[in-house]
Amino acid sequence: MQLTKHWYGQLDDYAIDLAWSPNGALLAAASAAGPITLFGAHDGARLHELPGHEGGTNILAWQPESPTFASGGQDGSVRLWDGAAGQHVSTAALGGAWVEHLAWRPCGPAPVLAAAAGRRFLYLNPDASVRRAFKDAPKTITALAWHPQGGCAAVAYFGGVCLWDGDDGVVQKEFPYGNGIHALVWSPDGRWLVSGNQDPSVHLWMPEKDVELQMSGYETKVRHLSFDSSSRWLATSGSQDACVWDCSGEGPEGREPVMLPHEAPVCGIAFQRGHGLLATASRDGALMLWSPERRQPLRATVKMPAAAASVSWSPDDKLLAIGSETGIVYTLRVEG
Amino acid sequence: MENNPIPVTVLTGFLGSGKTTLLNRILTEQHGRKLAVIENEFGEVGVDNQLVIQGDEELFEMNNGCICCSVRGDLIRILGRLLKRRDRLDGILIETTGLANPAPVAQTFFTDDEMRRNFRLDAIVTVVDAKHVSTHLDSNDESVKQIAFADVILLNKTDLVSPHELDSLKARVRAINAVASIQMTRDCNVPLNSVLDVGGFNLGRATEIDPKFLELEYPFEWAGAYALTAGTHDLVIGHHDDEHGHDHGHEHDHGHQHHHHHGNEDELDVAIMPVASLEAATISAVRDSTVEVFSDWERPVKEGETIAPGLPLNRLLLRERNGKYKLKVERPGLFLVFEGCGEYPLHIHAGGETVKPSWQADYHAAHEHNEDVTSVGIQQAGELDPKRLNDWISGLLRAKGGDIYRMKGVLCVKGSGKRLVFQGIHMLFDAKFDREWGQEPRVNTLVFIGKNLNRAELNEAFRSCLSA
Repeated sequence: MQLTKHWYGQLDDYAIDLAWSPNGALLAAASAAGPITLFGAHDGARLHELPGHEGGTNILAWQPESPTFASGGQDGSVRLWDGAAGQHVSTAALGGAWVEHLAWRPCGPAPVLAAAAGRRFLYLNPDASVRRAFKDAPKTITALAWHPQGGCAAVAYFGGVCLWDGDDGVVQKEFPYGNGIHALVWSPDGRWLVSGNQDPSVHLWMPEKDVELQMSGYETKVRHLSFDSSSRWLATSGSQDACVWDCSGEGPEGREPVMLPHEAPVCGIAFQRGHGLLATASRDGALMLWSPERRQPLRATVKMPAAAASVSWSPDDKLLAIGSETGIVYTLRVEG
Repeated sequence: MENNPIPVTVLTGFLGSGKTTLLNRILTEQHGRKLAVIENEFGEVGVDNQLVIQGDEELFEMNNGCICCSVRGDLIRILGRLLKRRDRLDGILIETTGLANPAPVAQTFFTDDEMRRNFRLDAIVTVVDAKHVSTHLDSNDESVKQIAFADVILLNKTDLVSPHELDSLKARVRAINAVASIQMTRDCNVPLNSVLDVGGFNLGRATEIDPKFLELEYPFEWAGAYALTAGTHDLVIGHHDDEHGHDHGHEHDHGHQHHHHHGNEDELDVAIMPVASLEAATISAVRDSTVEVFSDWERPVKEGETIAPGLPLNRLLLRERNGKYKLKVERPGLFLVFEGCGEYPLHIHAGGETVKPSWQADYHAAHEHNEDVTSVGIQQAGELDPKRLNDWISGLLRAKGGDIYRMKGVLCVKGSGKRLVFQGIHMLFDAKFDREWGQEPRVNTLVFIGKNLNRAELNEAFRSCLSA
């Protein structure tokens, strides 16, 4: 197996986020300075240059089954864009706090965009109007993840996680956690909700059964989490090894994790959407592909000139997009 | 990029102290440097082309709200985001609200690996309103902490107080924090290089401590040497001796006067100790043994009663700060008279003559400033046993880390030719060997700044770490 360079493009600043259009035809790439570039997935053509946000763009989120994507920025707004036409559609001004977290409800009767700005949390409609405003979180919201079936949105802040119902907006559950949370992920089957923490550790909740597990021993705070499509493997950053937990059955407690070694701290983690390959990136610019269940898990390695800032698989899992700290966007093709 | 951390300056100070003036001055006067300011309130700073970001002083209180374990979550978030910029910043200024405790800010740069790798805490700069700080220090723990944590203290608005008030204020600030650099300012007009890139947290500069702040403290404030004949003389306190002028006694018209009597104003502790000569070593020996006399029991002495050289300590009972006592001397000789509080005039009359002291000295008194927060400095030659040192420091921080705000030092450890420099905040500390001692005298220097520090205990524990 090998990774070959498909195309690359240059942004004006740090590549802070990437988002593939659901049909796989477009890749949106945001620079930390603000502008958003739309690349043609096939050849890397720069189809549109959008202004993004004054002061800087923080996040991108592409609406499922739609040409529309959302962006959040330091100007405190959420902007909606028509990716195919390359046009600004509408804006929701949420106040003075940075918009750092956006996520579209994966399925449901109508499209819903969950947005966090500081302690504010809202559901927006695709026209940027406010669908529902929630009471402020006790601290700044630091992570956001929809349940894979869209039943609730999990919102993390220092002190815990709150599950807001996707339809009527009531609190389904609250999970206290006595530390800072940097990342949240659900297993695709919805059994596990996992946080990556400041302390440094990974905390797992099984909301249906009121089970919770704490996996510690990390060197640094855990910023990156990814589940494989089977919901068995949970890959985590937080050291020089990508640490992969087996979450089948009762979960990882008492099991030895699979350690996938890098030569520098891991700074990016992404399982394929429908297949089993795991991409991990480290601060020295290395990017590796793994099959964690194999005896010899390493499948391919490439070294890039700069560390990855964001890593994202295309919807068909054939291309891997990497945005670097120096603003280069690479797409690599998995072959063999 | 990670090898060259971005310097961070933390500005603290009460509302109205001039903190924003300083911030604006820095932003206006720095040229060609790209700074980011993390403000506590939006819109106070109005300088174009600078990056101004609003923070919210959000605390991550690990371990049940223990302040030693708290870090600033908003800084982790905002500074993490600032790293994602191509145009590198030359520095970061963090302005805190008047009531903010600086500890979590500093701890953020000590504990969070990403912050530690990418940023360098340069200094905590505290702006003090000379006019109002005394009230704040009396009533507010946070303002004491802001002084205790500081590397640089700006005594600002000096034009609003008298030179005398300023002296006593400086002494009070110095009693809390013996190692910060103190700058007297109007409108915060300091050269930028005294507030930016000062290396307050730089381990290499940890020992730039003025040795005069490491003087031992004594239970007495003044001593004078008197040659006395055998017989019963008069010892007079205060100004009620009407037969003689005040020109020969101990009038305390000299130099710096920031004595404040603590406790009962009509009690004065006096010890009279024989001394063989006025040689420095002899005086030092008597001085040191008198420390014990002062810590031993005392005898209350009423007006007109007789006292004598030697033990016990005499507690003279005064009337309106005046009193007259008999001093009985069995054998003639030279005596050192020690006064617990230095601001009381003291005269000895023998045979109708006022005896003039042939030598006198002021001492830095332990009770001179009645602060809960103080600095304890230790300076001593000798090599330390690494294990004992480690056991002591770790035990000390476990037990008293909450009360120890700052700790700095340079130590000489047995088995290494290099200086061990360290720097700590509460329970966290960094220590590393830096350069060779070379020709420099191998002297251990360490300073603790904190609450309820026990000087004698710290000194004793330190000495027990010296390798035999």
